[in-house]
Amino acid sequence: MKRRLSLFLAAISVVVAAAPAFTARRPHYGGTLVVEEGAALNSVDASTNPGEARVKGQIDSLIYDRKNADDTSTDPGPFRLAQWEPGKDAVLAANEDYKGGRPFVDAVEIRMGRSATDRLIDVELGKADVAEIPVDQARRAAESGVRISASEPDQLIALVFETSNATTGDPRIREALARSIDRAAMVNFILQKEGEPAGGLLPQWSSGTAFLFSTAPDPARVKELLSQIGPSPKIGLGYDSGDPLLQAIGERIAVNARAAGISVTPEAIFKGGTSKADARLVRLDMASAEPRTALASFIENLKPTAISNEDREPLPDPATPEQIYEREASVVRSFSVIPVAWAPHVYGLSGRVRDWTAPKPGEPLPLANVWLDQVDAVREKRNP
Amino acid sequence: MTFRGKLFWMFTFALVLSVVLIATGVTVVARKAFDENNTQHTDALVAQFQREFSNRGQDMARRVQGIANAESTVRMAIDLARPTADPSVYVDDAHGVSQSYHLDILDFVGNDGTIVSSAEYRARFGYKLPWIKSLTEGKMVDWVAQGPFLMKIDTQAGPAIALLAVSTVRVGDRNLYIVGGERLGREFLGSLVLPQGMRALLYLNLDNKFQAGDLLDENGPVDEPERFAPFIEKERQQPIERKFTINQTADPKEAEVFHETPLLGRQNGLLGTLMVGSTQREVVILQRRIEFLAAVTVAIGILIALLLSWWASARVTKPIQELARGARAVSSGNWNTRVDVHGGGDVGQLAAAFNQMTQQLADQRERLLQTERVAAWREVARRLAHELKNPLFPLQTTVENLRRSKEKNPEQFDEVFRESTGILLSEIENLKTIVGRFSDFAKMPQPELGAVNVNDVVRSVVKLFEAQFGAVGRPPITPELHLDEELPTIQADQTLLHRAVENLVLNAMDAMPAGGVLMLRTTHQNGKVDLEVSDTGTGLTPEECDRLFTPYYTTKQHGTGLGLAIVQSVVSDHGGRVSVESESGVGTSVHIELPNRPPKKPQAPAAVEAKSPE
Repeated sequence: MKRRLSLFLAAISVVVAAAPAFTARRPHYGGTLVVEEGAALNSVDASTNPGEARVKGQIDSLIYDRKNADDTSTDPGPFRLAQWEPGKDAVLAANEDYKGGRPFVDAVEIRMGRSATDRLIDVELGKADVAEIPVDQARRAAESGVRISASEPDQLIALVFETSNATTGDPRIREALARSIDRAAMVNFILQKEGEPAGGLLPQWSSGTAFLFSTAPDPARVKELLSQIGPSPKIGLGYDSGDPLLQAIGERIAVNARAAGISVTPEAIFKGGTSKADARLVRLDMASAEPRTALASFIENLKPTAISNEDREPLPDPATPEQIYEREASVVRSFSVIPVAWAPHVYGLSGRVRDWTAPKPGEPLPLANVWLDQVDAVREKRNP
Repeated sequence: MTFRGKLFWMFTFALVLSVVLIATGVTVVARKAFDENNTQHTDALVAQFQREFSNRGQDMARRVQGIANAESTVRMAIDLARPTADPSVYVDDAHGVSQSYHLDILDFVGNDGTIVSSAEYRARFGYKLPWIKSLTEGKMVDWVAQGPFLMKIDTQAGPAIALLAVSTVRVGDRNLYIVGGERLGREFLGSLVLPQGMRALLYLNLDNKFQAGDLLDENGPVDEPERFAPFIEKERQQPIERKFTINQTADPKEAEVFHETPLLGRQNGLLGTLMVGSTQREVVILQRRIEFLAAVTVAIGILIALLLSWWASARVTKPIQELARGARAVSSGNWNTRVDVHGGGDVGQLAAAFNQMTQQLADQRERLLQTERVAAWREVARRLAHELKNPLFPLQTTVENLRRSKEKNPEQFDEVFRESTGILLSEIENLKTIVGRFSDFAKMPQPELGAVNVNDVVRSVVKLFEAQFGAVGRPPITPELHLDEELPTIQADQTLLHRAVENLVLNAMDAMPAGGVLMLRTTHQNGKVDLEVSDTGTGLTPEECDRLFTPYYTTKQHGTGLGLAIVQSVVSDHGGRVSVESESGVGTSVHIELPNRPPKKPQAPAAVEAKSPE
């Protein structure tokens, strides 16, 4: 009898304990959504670099009612700027009169200038609700219990040659290097399987033709090319000193190249510094999910030097997939740009964030639709 | 050099030699002792460094073993042993673990030798680590027993030399190799505890030839690495332990003694060279201090030696100098000279003997003078008696004739008286002449000096006697003049000289009753004038020569014995010397040596030398 009673009481306690969780699964208003950004915006009126522009775009998207990125409408958005501390903090309060309806959260606090490590730690500790984390840390963060949300692979990691010098002016050298790179290993190990090897300038999910570009190393072809070239050339490969992912990829390219008989020396390019590197490793966001726009943007930003003027011309609008592929293939065949990998944007989410969807290329974070689970309200009070 | 000078330099030389020998000996012995001590010290420090090196290896091996024993590593090994293992999960593990365990090198290597994760070469995942597989293929290797070892490895920055240790985690039949280590380089050298005054250099033998950039100390590449190149090249040719010294400057203080130890890999290939250098600064400073002290000691010793030598030589020679002064005084006629007698030593006895000798000499001289005086008086008396006796006898006989004539022949008395008074007057005149000669000798005047040419004196004397040389009834005498026309004038009294030469010529003429050759010769030497007057007469016996200048001594029937005495007196008054050489039957030569100017002080009687064949 006593045993049955104790089992009954235990069952009741479990139900009582689980009750808030069940009751919190419905969307509701309230709470402050804490978002952390790596860039620091010093003025809401101007931006001087891509990171700041992204933060500014994010804020503008919340305080103005814009349908897309190009919209310059100044209609009030779902939030209004309530507090502004340049370079550090922006608090956006919910606009009760928003014509699309009041957002779920009472406020969005955007903490700026947070390093990748700080963002990851803050997400792990629940001090931040949404923060972009390094793609190569995603797997480890997930193992640590952080909710991970990854976008489609929309960041192109590519190697861009300065073709004006004698070393890399020879397309055979560029091709040899391109065919010595083991992209799959990079994706598996460095990107921790978050992403995909890149053979072209557009991802498979966008163009549907990426599979036509080879991503596997071709040692035989490399050997053939090197036998034509003669002594192994020495190539300096620059990368942004503030980007550990590019450093890791650059070092791996050097290892692959060395194994193939090409001497590649990675060298960090510091902010504001100059470099005599023969090639540089870049990471570019897709401007749009639309392949024609994205390709045009890549060509414009990568500035491949060894392509024809015809390939620099804009594609017709609308362009057929064949036209897009031909243009993409033409650029890739010049080997002045060597696509290496596609990486997604990875976001760490706290446990109370609900109805989150990763943004598409060129779009801001969809914060107006997010609501916060009440389960974490207690924690929010404990750690304001 | 004086006796005192000789003694001084002898003492000085002996003392300085002693001081220098002692100082040199002490310096050499001290230097040798310092060198030995320094060598032992350096060897001990090198041994200490090598122990530190070995300890570091053991410590590093323990850390690698600690990684192997860690739960996360075991879990990794288990995970990788699964058929569907995903090594990409662990690609960054080595980096974090290496930092936790303070290792420069850390590789997690799969069973097939594939690098799962690498701390020193992060991008090398997926590649094989060939050596570990080749070492373990087909056999079990006890890595713990093997201990740490050196190996050339690849890193992101290029090839490097590392001190490695390997541990394994075995899961079933599969191994996970943990290769950990420390890179040999600047940081490694900096982390080693080195005693003061030492530094460690490391040459990484990464190339086929010497590369300056591969020679490191704890601050990075070594300054002026080419100085080490020959020694490193030797080591590359034959890897053995060596010692060498390097000096940047000519200053030995800057020298460093290096112990070169080859760093060999598992296959005994030369991977690097460890050079532990110890500065010689302290030793050299100490040696220099000792040398400085030795030099100061030598300088002070020499000074003391000089003073002591001066004092000792003065002390030793003072009585001797007094004796010398006494002897000089005695030689100058001061017979009463006495010297102080210091102590009873040899010199004291010598001084006493000197005093005794001078006393005896004075006594003997006094006695001799008295004897000579008596003898002279006797000689004077004899001469006077002789000279006076001759005139006195006619006087006596004349007076007796007068008396006899008066008594016996008065008629003839007048005539006898007249003749007798004539004889008496003649003899009295003779007596007056004799007395006058003696008077003249007694009244020899002091010379009145003036410029005199001795040749002129000689010529005037010869001219004076020219008539007598060829007088009728007398055998001819031939004068021969050998006069030095370069003869300098001297300060002398021409009249006295003339008188002296005149006496010599007269003596020579008297010595040649049968005629002969009279030779007069003048020469000069060292400012002195020599006059030689020679005859070819009968010559003199040695006894006659000895007494020749004695006043009133004569060998002639009617001589007064004053001629040569006058000569000696004149020569002596002019500060000169007179000597006689004579051989019986051959002739006699008289030599007169006259100085340019007579000394101011009254001279002692002229030295007389008389030589005659025995």
